[in-house]
Amino acid sequence: MKRMNQDLNQKIRSYVDNLFAGIGDSQQLYELKEELSINLKEKVIDYKKAGMNEEEAFKEAVSSMGDLSGLVEDMRQIGQDQTRKEVYSSMTARVSTVGLITGILIGLFGLLTMAMLYFMKLPLEAVTGPAIFIVLGGALIAYSLLTRETNKKYAMTKVRAMLYGLSVGLILFSLFTAFTSGFATGEIFIGISSFMVFFLAGFGLLLGLLFTGTDRKKGR
Amino acid sequence: MASNISTDLIRGHTDTIILNVLQQGDSYGYQIYKTIIALSGNQYELKEATLYTAFRRLEKEGYIASYWGDETQGGRRKYYRITDTGMQRYKQNKQDWHFAKNVLNRLIEGGIQNEENEPGS
Repeated sequence: MKRMNQDLNQKIRSYVDNLFAGIGDSQQLYELKEELSINLKEKVIDYKKAGMNEEEAFKEAVSSMGDLSGLVEDMRQIGQDQTRKEVYSSMTARVSTVGLITGILIGLFGLLTMAMLYFMKLPLEAVTGPAIFIVLGGALIAYSLLTRETNKKYAMTKVRAMLYGLSVGLILFSLFTAFTSGFATGEIFIGISSFMVFFLAGFGLLLGLLFTGTDRKKGR
Repeated sequence: MASNISTDLIRGHTDTIILNVLQQGDSYGYQIYKTIIALSGNQYELKEATLYTAFRRLEKEGYIASYWGDETQGGRRKYYRITDTGMQRYKQNKQDWHFAKNVLNRLIEGGIQNEENEPGS
């Protein structure tokens, strides 16, 4: 079943790629391909449920789509405009840049405050307090990096990037709680136990995301 | 399904049909496609090609907005929702439709009752 799904995905992917072959890359084309693929797949699955075999279902789903030439032409136009435009000038890229800078600054602020408190000879559990800023900064950096469109890759969708940010945040937060509670109580096992909860949640989320990702590389 | 001429008649209302689906809740391409078939009582199919072209146009005009779903199994769906201006547009189109429907009905099916204009009188 799993294997059959892979085949179907492959078939749909190459059909959609073929449909828009030779058209200049753009974020919009990438999103349209994604949209067409998932909807086509659901249609094939429905036809299969109605009793067709996969080959018939696929053919029927494709031929009942109608005349896509208008859409293809639309994308060609955008692709041509896109090549004239610098990738980094888009609005999302600017938002992502602001996020990236803010994230790094927040992280540095946490780091420097920690250093300051350390050299003030405060107890260790107080020194780890500002690390919460590193947690926030790290999550923000992860989100901003992923929503960024680069020369090689398309931007990730916002929801997904947010989930990645959350998982990075959780993992960093697990370290934060580990050290804070560990130093506060002076017991390593307490550190580990509080570390475990958030780390597993964050790591689980991260694994889930890694295994379900689609290829964002350009020029496939 | 109905003949080509009658589908042409309906196709002029593609935007309003889509807005009607979306004003009843967010939805994504294939679901909207199925909803329209169901709404027509299996008598009319709006081709996906027409549908996607309409989505792009409606989004550009600000009547609908899109966002990605967070399905993790096998790809994400692109959902559409109606905007406030889209809602106004829908209400306006509905009013226009009621007006046109009445007038067209009179024009196409109405019998002439005024006898003063009869030839030879």
